[in-house]
Amino acid sequence: MRDGHVIEILESGPFDALGESALAQVRAHAEVCADCRRAYEAARVSSLLLRGRAARGFEPPPFFQTRVLAALRERQAEQVWALPRLWKAAGALFASMVATVATLGALTFLAPGATQPDAPAEEVAAEEVYSVEESILAQGGGADEEMTYDQVLTVVYEPNDGGAR
Amino acid sequence: MELARLARDGDESAFGEIVRRHSPRVFRVASRFFRRREQAEEAAQEIFLKAFTELGSYEARGSFEGWLTRIATNTCLNLLRSQKRRTPELTAADLTEDEGAWLDTQLSDVAAERHRAAENATVAADLADKVLDTMSPDDRLALTLVDGEELSVKEVAEVTGWSESKVKVQAFRARRRMREAVERLLGR
Repeated sequence: MRDGHVIEILESGPFDALGESALAQVRAHAEVCADCRRAYEAARVSSLLLRGRAARGFEPPPFFQTRVLAALRERQAEQVWALPRLWKAAGALFASMVATVATLGALTFLAPGATQPDAPAEEVAAEEVYSVEESILAQGGGADEEMTYDQVLTVVYEPNDGGAR
Repeated sequence: MELARLARDGDESAFGEIVRRHSPRVFRVASRFFRRREQAEEAAQEIFLKAFTELGSYEARGSFEGWLTRIATNTCLNLLRSQKRRTPELTAADLTEDEGAWLDTQLSDVAAERHRAAENATVAADLADKVLDTMSPDDRLALTLVDGEELSVKEVAEVTGWSESKVKVQAFRARRRMREAVERLLGR
C-alpha cells in the first residue's frame, strides 16, 4: 500500500470479500482522506450494483424446448439441402472441365493443322498446287469436258509460271 | 451421460430432454450478459444449437453441466463481442430519476440497507447494466462472475477457459474501471 492510501485494498478483490480488519483499515483511512473516501463509497456502491445485477435472471419461457427443437430441425434441413446444391455445383464445374479437355483434345488430334505453326511458303505453294490438281482430277469425266494435256499444264503451272518450268 | 450419447446419435427426444433439464442454467448464464429477455432467449437457443453440434467433442470425464456452461459462457461472450456496441461513458444525464435517487440514497449507511427491498433491486440491476455496458465484454464477464456472483477465480477460469492469472488481472482492471465510473456518477 503506497502512501497509506487504501485504494489498492479496495481493488485487490471483491468488496464483499474484504475481511473485517481490512474494512476497518479502509474506513479509518477514509475518515481522513477525501480521495479514499470517494473510492470507498464507489467500491461499496459498485458491489451493491453487481449484487443487484446478479440477483436478476431470466427464466426459460414455456415451449422453449419446442422452439429449440424446431430451430434445430430447420438448421439440419438447411444443411441437407446445402449438400445437393454443393454437389450440383461441383458436377457442373466438373462437366465443363471435361468438355474443355475433350474440345482441346479434339482440336489437337483431329485437326492438327489448326494448331500447327504456319508452314514455309514453298510448302504452302505445293499444297496449293496439289489442291488444284486434286480439283482438276475431281472434275466430271464427260468426254466433252475433257481437257488437253496443255490445258492441264496451263491451269496447274500458270500461277507459278517461272518456278515450275 | 446417456442422454448426451443418445442425442449425439440423433435421438431428438434425448436432446429435447437435455434442453428441458438445462434451460434454467443456460438462461442464468445468458442473463449475465444480456439485459433484455429477448436477447437472453436468442442467446440460449444459440447455446443449445451449438451444444448439439459439439456433442461429439463431449467426453464424459467432466460433468455435462460444466461442459454446457463453458459453451454457454463462450457463446454469449462471442455474441456480445460481435455486437461491438458500447456506451462510451456513462454520465448523470443517462440516468433515470429512479437511478439517480437510488445512488443518492446509497451515500448513507441507513439507505444502504434499504437497497435490499425488492423494488430497488430492479433499479440497481438496470443501473448496473448501464455501467457494465460501458465496459468490454471481458471486463463485464469477469466482474459479473467474480464480484457479482462471488465465483472463485478457479471456477471462473473453468467456465471461461481463461487462465487463473487472466481472471485475476481482468477482474482487477474491471473493478477499477467500474469504481471510477461509479465515482463519477456519485460526484455528479
